[in-house]
Amino acid sequence: MNVGDKLILRKSNVSDFFSSLQGEMQLIAPKKRFAGDVVFDVVNSPEEIVWEYGHDIYPPGKRYIFPHYEDMFSYRRGEQISIDVAAEAPKQAIVAIRSCDVTAVRFQERFFSTPIVDPFYKARAENTVLFSLVCNEPPKKECFCICCDGGPYLETGFDVQLTDLGDRFLYEIGSEKGLRASEPRQQYLEPSSEQDIAERKRIELHADSLFQTASYIAKAIIYITSDEVPDEVWEELGSTCFRCAACTNLCPICTCYTVDDRPEPDGSFTRCRSWDSCQYAGFTREASGHNPRPTFGSRVKRRFYHKASFQYIMRDGRHGCVGCGRCVSSCLTKLDLPSVVKKIRRAMHDYIEPKSRPTAFLQ
Amino acid sequence: MSTEVKTPTLTGAKPRNMWGVTGVPTGNLYVPMPAVIEKIIVETPDTKTFRLRLEDPKHAEWFTWEPGQFVELSVFGAGEAPIGFASSPLERSWFELTIVNRGKVTGLMHELKEGDRVGIRGPLGNCWPLEAIKGKDILIISGGCGLAPLRPAILYILANRQDYGEFWLLYGARTPADINYKYDLVEWEKRDDFHVLQTVDVGDESWTGNVGVVTTLLDQVKLDAANAVALTCGPPIMIKFATLALVKMGFSEDRVVTSLERYMKCGVGKCGHCCVNHVYLCTEGPVFTYAQLQEFPETRA
Repeated sequence: MNVGDKLILRKSNVSDFFSSLQGEMQLIAPKKRFAGDVVFDVVNSPEEIVWEYGHDIYPPGKRYIFPHYEDMFSYRRGEQISIDVAAEAPKQAIVAIRSCDVTAVRFQERFFSTPIVDPFYKARAENTVLFSLVCNEPPKKECFCICCDGGPYLETGFDVQLTDLGDRFLYEIGSEKGLRASEPRQQYLEPSSEQDIAERKRIELHADSLFQTASYIAKAIIYITSDEVPDEVWEELGSTCFRCAACTNLCPICTCYTVDDRPEPDGSFTRCRSWDSCQYAGFTREASGHNPRPTFGSRVKRRFYHKASFQYIMRDGRHGCVGCGRCVSSCLTKLDLPSVVKKIRRAMHDYIEPKSRPTAFLQ
Repeated sequence: MSTEVKTPTLTGAKPRNMWGVTGVPTGNLYVPMPAVIEKIIVETPDTKTFRLRLEDPKHAEWFTWEPGQFVELSVFGAGEAPIGFASSPLERSWFELTIVNRGKVTGLMHELKEGDRVGIRGPLGNCWPLEAIKGKDILIISGGCGLAPLRPAILYILANRQDYGEFWLLYGARTPADINYKYDLVEWEKRDDFHVLQTVDVGDESWTGNVGVVTTLLDQVKLDAANAVALTCGPPIMIKFATLALVKMGFSEDRVVTSLERYMKCGVGKCGHCCVNHVYLCTEGPVFTYAQLQEFPETRA
């Protein structure tokens, strides 16, 4: 068995395979909850895994590797200050995670390890194996991963990738971590045939054809890097934002966090980090009252600058959008990437003469 | 105008940071080192200087810093805040932090007494380019508590006075009561090789010095801008007008060096609060030249 192997996991063996894996680590997978909702959660047995689900709005990769609230350490005041660093991260496998979320996890892994290694993120990421599931068709109408290089299937970056081929899964091993999770369960895996690979190819092409073709991210990169979008346009866009921060909290890539010292009932304190959002006015407000980003427009501009500017692409190795569509389905005032690109495009026609537009050289 | 080659090292001052080669002595970037408050000096009604000593000798041995760097100060029970070093870098057994009582962390810090314990993560950030500017005339412009991060640089230059040319300090405060380091300023004004000019925005009965914003003092400065470097730190509005005035005086944009301030949490380039465009102030800043700042549209005022 090697990295790069393409194997077959029969659906009749899926239960045994994941039962065996569950002996080594906890399984996190889409699971039926109240009223038919399917969300990622710890499953007690592999039968609970829902393999055909749409899209979990709460990004599972970020949720279990960079949790919404994470205790860093606790301390006790007194003659001496005693500090206890948080316990080790649990071993876990996230099963049936979508390609876009895997891409986002890889983005976060890179961010949290360069140039400085974040010890808490590293501990969790090292103990997490991702079993990603190829989307045979776009799970939601908001999906635009194909435009952002986030899916619907992966070439690299996965630990194990599963493709639903009807009565069986194509089982691809993409990393050492995936290999280590697969080797003890070799008896459930069998070699794949050329027919399986061809079937996979057919599914890829079919899935590709179901997406709308639109180059949102390419346009966003041009508009934002050029810095020629007038501030009035940003203010106009920002005027509808009511800073609920759904866009950044649900974004599987967003990494910003804040740190708080939480008092505990026993008199100790816990230093805890939790997701923060650049869309909040207090995100940059200093103790003196000075705020470098005082307006809604400046904060909306900031969010898209971080997502799509060339400077950040150089830093992070890719743009900050995987096209999961969560901001599209969550933002009530349409400040998601596709809508903002469309609005900027329209506004630029009103503000800037065609010959001085950043795309002028194309004409 | 000078035809001299620009000094690229001005922008490249990279001291050892806490994540340096040897790693952090606490074993985790986010875990602070305990420190004891040895002495508290009351500067102004809302500002105190705290002299701190790291409790663990192993931490103290590992801990070296350069003027312009800062630490994340943990006030246990409140949280963390970024504070710049304010004492002489030549003193290695202790260091001082000057803190204005403004928010939750600094508020609780002001209630602490000598002998109490706080936490220190650092040193963080880059530093004033003191090596690269040797041989140059130095002009320091600072306002209010902006003198604190410049004080290590001033004390370093005074200790190595022969390495530098003319040395000027322009310092502005809101009122005479808001002047920091009065004990230092008295000593500095006595020196022949250090020109110190002070001003206040609003004077009182006993004030006989200059009145007006700090940039009004620039008329009295006699310096050859072609061979001089300006270091500035203060409120954003002061930095803006000082920078514009200096450029007008003939300072080239890469000879005006400033230390920025942002809200900050982690100090290691992860939490995202201190970003100025694509640059993380905590790891790549806070010291920048005006030429560098031109590249960040967010700092254009």
